[in-house]
Amino acid sequence: MGWRLPLRSLWRNRRRTLLSLAVIALGTAVSLFVLGFLENSRFQIQESTVQEYGNLQVASPKLWKNETDGYDYLVSPRDVARLASLLEMEPGFRGSTSELQFPGLLGTGRETQVIRAIGIEPENPVLDFAEHAVAGRGLQLSDTASAFVGRTLAERLSLSVGSVIMVTLTTVNGAYNASPFTVVGIYKYSNEQFEQQVVFVPLAFAQRLLNTDGVDRIVISLDRIEASNPVASRLAAALQTDGTHLAPRTWDDLSPFYRQLASYFNALFAFLSLAISILVFFIILQVQTLAFLERTREIGTIRALGTTQREVFGLFFSESAWLAVLGSSMGVALGALLVAAFNAVGIQWLPPGTIEKFTLGARIEVKTALVPFAVSLVATLLSALYPAAQASRLRVVEALRIE
Amino acid sequence: MGFGSRFCHVRGAKFLDAQRLTKTYRVGSETVYALRDVNFVALQGDFVVINGPSGSGKTTFLNLMSVIDRPTSGEVFIESQPTSTQSEGQLAYLRKTKIGLVFQSFNLIPVLSAAENVEYPLLLQRRPKPERQERVAALLAEVGLSDLARRRPNELSGGQRQRVAIARALVSGPMIVLADEPTANLDSKTGEAVMDLMRRLNEEHCVTFIVVTHDPAVSRYAGRRVRIHDGRLEEGEGNGVAASAS
Ligand SMILES: Nc1ncnc2c1ncn2[C@@H]1O[C@H](COP(=O)(O)OP(=O)(O)OP(=O)(O)O)[C@@H](O)[C@H]1O
Ligand SMILES: [Mg+2]
Repeated sequence: MGWRLPLRSLWRNRRRTLLSLAVIALGTAVSLFVLGFLENSRFQIQESTVQEYGNLQVASPKLWKNETDGYDYLVSPRDVARLASLLEMEPGFRGSTSELQFPGLLGTGRETQVIRAIGIEPENPVLDFAEHAVAGRGLQLSDTASAFVGRTLAERLSLSVGSVIMVTLTTVNGAYNASPFTVVGIYKYSNEQFEQQVVFVPLAFAQRLLNTDGVDRIVISLDRIEASNPVASRLAAALQTDGTHLAPRTWDDLSPFYRQLASYFNALFAFLSLAISILVFFIILQVQTLAFLERTREIGTIRALGTTQREVFGLFFSESAWLAVLGSSMGVALGALLVAAFNAVGIQWLPPGTIEKFTLGARIEVKTALVPFAVSLVATLLSALYPAAQASRLRVVEALRIE
Repeated sequence: MGFGSRFCHVRGAKFLDAQRLTKTYRVGSETVYALRDVNFVALQGDFVVINGPSGSGKTTFLNLMSVIDRPTSGEVFIESQPTSTQSEGQLAYLRKTKIGLVFQSFNLIPVLSAAENVEYPLLLQRRPKPERQERVAALLAEVGLSDLARRRPNELSGGQRQRVAIARALVSGPMIVLADEPTANLDSKTGEAVMDLMRRLNEEHCVTFIVVTHDPAVSRYAGRRVRIHDGRLEEGEGNGVAASAS
């Protein structure tokens, strides 16, 4: 039947068609904008999560499953070396570093506070908080009993660069140990809780205090976020075959916050999409029903001329298909404009629980734009089914009698 | 000309045969007889004019002949084939290939130009474009509207619109054209021109015409005159031009 009749029919009531297009386009645009905003937030959180955890961490399965007994989960230097040789073969591998975390009590002589100490390799290329220093400096290779503390903790305990603190801990054999540390620097970080609890110390010194040559995890950095999962599964397989009792975890597994946030964003967007689709669905249903009703006699005429019911359905459905494609495309364009405008304005925001203001933005890619486009398209097409079916089912004689 | 004339050798053949047609409507608890036990035969080349008072069943009769409606009882045979057993799709095929329709209020598709309206039945039959263009041009020339081919219906006068509708009815080379009050929305002079046109097409291309009308002036075009009264059909006298041709 060609495209001529449906497309022209769409144009016969210009104002109504423009209204329909506006509804579809607006729905698509809002949905795209919100998706872009959520995607941008998710992306930023993803970046900082990877910065905090690395792409992957490898540790004993006991640690991941929380089935530790004392320090039985520590990784031996032999296993660390084995892992290093496996990582050499990964094309996207950028670097790795070992950590040894332990709980301790930090005392200043006046106050005591529970902390989580992390023994890190100073000046490592993977996870180094030196760049977050607001006072003093990060840990250096020559450091021994040096501590790099968070800003919140420093404020609470009135610590400054040069302060001496006492850290009390339990060794791997279960004995108590204690050592003075000198604060060499203070860092700030987006997470207040982290700032208050985490104290960085040199790995070698931590091992000596705990009386071990083991580490609790190896943090791995890759060149791309998307490589995390494939590398993790290859590593898991390789470690399994040579009987090394280590298991990799990807950054999103490691951060429950990211997981929750991502699924919350997904749910939010799904809900919004659904609400918009329902709105678009009913508005277009109403408008198209009216549009078809007005053409009852014309439908009678073309049926009388020999158009089949299926062809009538096709005519009316393709009319709505044009509406759907045009409206959704316009919506994507409008949404992209909104996003560009929003990014240009650059609104600042201080998220709760964080210290840094960050600039709100939205981010769209072809992949993300496809979702609102498809959702509007489908909603409009679905709304066309019923009126088109009604139009095709009209009885010819009755339809011709309508004035 | 390139249409219709191929049927001339069968002038007088029985194209349409209606037997014992009855059509009733239920209005509340009452049964209204729109047609009672009507028999009717249309021969190839006939020009039949159907008269009758308002509400006598003329439109009902025409609807049954054009197989857009089905009788309550009785049978319409088209080329000796019964139609009551045919599917909607088969009837649609009959309509688009063998039956032309002309309506009282023209019923052109407003968003299509005159030429596109005429082309529509050929599109339905998926005829190739060169053939469509050729036939549309021929038909528009036949009804004298070649110059107005690109106009939309609302840019044409009533008489011009009805001529477009007649061209549309004839474009696929039907055996029969059924017209329900084709002149009722036209002034008498334009109505006469339209009737002249139909009569000429009937004679030149031996397409059967069945024209329903109130208008006594139209009756003089009749080759054969039929009266419907109270749902019954009475054969009258025509001036015998086409009917006697057998
Ligand atoms: N859908 C219907 N429901 C009920 N009764 C109907 C219906 N269609 C037609 N009728 C009745 O059938 C009878 C014949 O109607 P029809 O339309 O065939 O008359 P007509 O001769 O064409 O009249 P007119 O000259 O006014 O057009 C009338 O009594 C009419 O009221
Ligand atoms: Mg009538």
